[in-house]
Formats: sequence, structure tokens, C-alpha cells
Amino acid sequence: MKPQGSAYLLAAFPAAFLLLFFALPILLLLSTSMLKSEDMVPIAQLTTANFSTLLTKKLYVDAILRTIGIGVAVGALVVVLGYPVAYTLVRTQSRWQPVLVALALSPLLASVIVRTYGWWVLLNHDGPINNFLLAMGVISAPLRMLPSTAVIIVGLAHALLPYGVLTIMAALNGVNPNLERAAMSLGAGRVRTFVSVTLPLTASGVIGGFLLAFGVAIGAYATPAILGGPGTQTMATLIYSFMMTLLDWSLGSAMGVILLASSFVVLALIMLAGRRSES
Amino acid sequence: MSRKILWSVVALIYAFMLAPILITAAVSFNAVERSYFPPRGFSLHWWSMAMTPQWTGPFLFSLKLAALSAVATAVLGLPLALALRWPSFRGRGTLQALTLGPLVLPSLVTGIALLQFLTLAGVGNWIGLPALVIGHVVICLPFMVRTLSISLDSIPINAEIAAASLGASRLRVLIEVTLPLARSGGGAGMIFAFISSFDDVNLALFVARPGQTPLTVQIMQFLEYGFSPTLAALSIISLLVPLALVALFGRLVGIGNFIYQDHGHA
Repeated sequence: MKPQGSAYLLAAFPAAFLLLFFALPILLLLSTSMLKSEDMVPIAQLTTANFSTLLTKKLYVDAILRTIGIGVAVGALVVVLGYPVAYTLVRTQSRWQPVLVALALSPLLASVIVRTYGWWVLLNHDGPINNFLLAMGVISAPLRMLPSTAVIIVGLAHALLPYGVLTIMAALNGVNPNLERAAMSLGAGRVRTFVSVTLPLTASGVIGGFLLAFGVAIGAYATPAILGGPGTQTMATLIYSFMMTLLDWSLGSAMGVILLASSFVVLALIMLAGRRSES
Repeated sequence: MSRKILWSVVALIYAFMLAPILITAAVSFNAVERSYFPPRGFSLHWWSMAMTPQWTGPFLFSLKLAALSAVATAVLGLPLALALRWPSFRGRGTLQALTLGPLVLPSLVTGIALLQFLTLAGVGNWIGLPALVIGHVVICLPFMVRTLSISLDSIPINAEIAAASLGASRLRVLIEVTLPLARSGGGAGMIFAFISSFDDVNLALFVARPGQTPLTVQIMQFLEYGFSPTLAALSIISLLVPLALVALFGRLVGIGNFIYQDHGHA
């Protein structure tokens, strides 16, 4: 048997599975987003009304922009907080290093619900932060920290931080420490060495971590649902209510397509920026 | 001096990462029906509430779903990884894109696509366990193929061709050379698949049905009526499952090797 033949034979069943349960459903989603819906089921009548509704009504436009804003803020926070941790973990000589790595990555094992619930406990109107500030006399009435977009950002950044640590660690592992030593022996200070040697060499990890966090954050449902409210809808919470409460699948699909498009646009922008900085 | 600053910053970030989980654990021991922190009084009441059938049902369902998804992902992932080892054949690029596609798409989008597809294809009664397994396999396949490829790459495909040219039958090469290589990658892929299935909310939200609802979705639905320390206890219980899994099998398959390499490749 030729190698080609056995590759096809092996791939046939899994490829059929992915075509049937992944590629086909996504194509269907793309098409129902352009169809009119009647009683939940899309009917064969082309329309652009779904998209024009979502892209003109203030409520929906706000949700789309809020989601993208959340994604960018979460991506940035994940990279900024993840970098010092990754740097320390890669460069430390401590014998506790494996334990510290395990601790940094362990939140990945917990469902996002576990990781979000603690924030709700901490920040709700009867939570420890409010009670402490009340007891100290700093405030006279509990602060309303929930629901809010800022708290959704904090919750998501917390949930996705391990991804940033991982991608930046992978990039830092590829940097030869001798390069940093060389820079310093030539008179560059710690900060200068970091900015002009270490950071550029790990740019791929920073961008990768940002993208990963951005992509997961804009598609996340649980955290905005728990820490947000009617005033802080995101694309994901809107999709849920279109699909499961309002039962308007066409509108839900259209929002799904917008969600997809936003992640691709950001991906493309960053690749473009990367190419420009290289040339 | 600057090292001290760095370490204190890192310590703060660790506190940020771990505090919410520790707070959740503490809240579950409240003696009152409020999510107080620090907990007021001490009671195991919420833990016993978490052990009632309302919650053990979804918990056991989640375990079953995760186990089925892990096995099914391995069964589909192995032939896929083996096929992708051939350096070039017509359609290889398409196959690779098809395999990695679910990684690029938000799993929530995969979920609503699957919901519509199954309903319109006339198999709406698959919503529930079958649809959940299908969805989780789609989401987990890229990781499985990745980890399998990493461990299969430890010997070049030429070594197998050599074994075959020395007279070993194709099946014998597969069983004696290839499959033992795939064991650690397959193990790591299955652990990833089990944990992502067990922890998934985004896809399961759309393709679960009453009576066939995983724990995460049950918690989300319960949250619409408010918080209760029972949820804190449940959160901790659901954290213990993946933790135990990695503690038991993580070393066996050397899961750490895959975490780095996986992201290095991607």
C-alpha cells in the first residue's frame, strides 16, 4: 500500500466526524445568520435584518463594543501580570521552582465557575471588602461593585492568567540568558537590558498570550453572567438569551458570526502589526 | 534590591491568583445561609446539602460525560495523528485545518452551531449526553492530536518504514513500534480532554437537557436564583476531581512535558 493510501484510510473516519459535526454545523450557522426566523426555526428567506438589527440598535452595539473592550483589557492584564511571574519562574534557581510552577498553573484545573465565585463573594454588597471599609468608617454605605464591566475584566483576567504565564514561559525558555549577560557586561542596566533584549525576544509569547486571553475572554459566558448584570451584557450573554430565552436562532447565529468575525479581525490586525515591525 | 521588588510583585500576583479559590473554600463552612467571608461559625451543613441527589446527579453525569469524551477523543485522535505523520499527501493541509479549526473558534459558537445542526437534521433527541460527547470531542481533538504528535515525533516515520522494509508487517510495526510511543501523548491528551469536558460551560449550556445536565450548567442555572454556600462546597468538590486526576496520572504520562511543548508549537 502506498503511504498516501494508508493516510487516507486512517483519516477517513475522524475526518468524516469533523466534517459532519464541526464543518457542516458552522456552515449552517453562517447561513442561518442570513435567514429569517419563525418560531425558533430559520425559514428559507434571505435577509440581512439580523445583522442590521445587531449593528444598529444601541443595546447590541454597546454589547459588542463592551465585549471587545473586555477582551483587549483582559489580554493586556494577562500579559502584564503574567510576565513577571513567568520571568521569575524561568530564571529562579530556587528548589521550590516546580512547586511554584504547579501553583501558578493549578487554577487551570478549576472550572471557570469556581474561579469566578470567589470574586462574587469578595465584592458583593455584603462582602468582606465592603464590611471592612464600613467598619473602618471609610465609606458610609456599601459600594456597588457588582455588577460592573470592571469586575468582569478582573474576573476574566484572573481566570485566564495561567495561559499568559504559560505562553510567556515558553518564549522565555527559548531566550539564551547569556544574551542578557552580554548586554549587561556592555553597560546596559537591568531595565535597558529587559526592554531592548529580553522583551523583543519574547514578543511572540506576549502576543500569543494576549491573543489566547482575548479569544477566550470574548467568548466566555460564565464570568459575565455571574459578575455582570442586565447593564453589562456581552456578546456571549446575548447569544445565550437569543438562543435559549427568546428562541430567535437567526439572531443568535448572527451574533455568533459577529463574535467569530471579531476574533478574526483582531488576529489579522496583530499579524499585520507583527509583519510591519519585522520589515 | 530590584530582585526583592520583583519577588514581592510576584507574591502579590500569586495572592491574586489563589485568593478567590481559598475564599470559596472558606465560605463553604459558613454556619449561616450567607456567603460570608470570613465564615461565621463553622458547619458542614452546605457540604451535606451538596451531597443531595439534586447535585450528586449532575456530578455523576459530569464524570460519565468526561470519561466518555476522553475515550472517544482518543479513539478519533489516534488515527488522525497517525495520518498527519505522513509528510505530504493530497489534502493534508485541509485535514490539518479541519483538526485545528475548533481551537480557533470560541466553543460557544461551536455549541450553538451544533444545537442548530442536530435540531434541523432531525436528531434533536441527541441533545443531552450524545450531543455533549460529540461537542466535547470536537473541542478536545486539537489538543489530543497535538500531544499525540509530540510523542509520535520522538522517532521519525522513517524508522517505521525501515522496520517494515526489514520484514515486519504493517500491523506489527503499529503495535510494537508506533503505539507504545503514543502512550504518553495519548494519556496526556485524555487527561486534558477529561478536564476540559468536566469544566466546560460554554458548549454544554446549549446542548444539555433536563436530566442530562452537567454540574457546571446546573450551577449556572441555580445561580439565576441567587448564591448559596452550597455552591461554594460544590465548586471545591468539582475542583478536587481534576486535581486528583492530575495527581494520580499526571506523573505517569509526564504531563508537564506536554504543557510546555504544546504551547511552544502553537
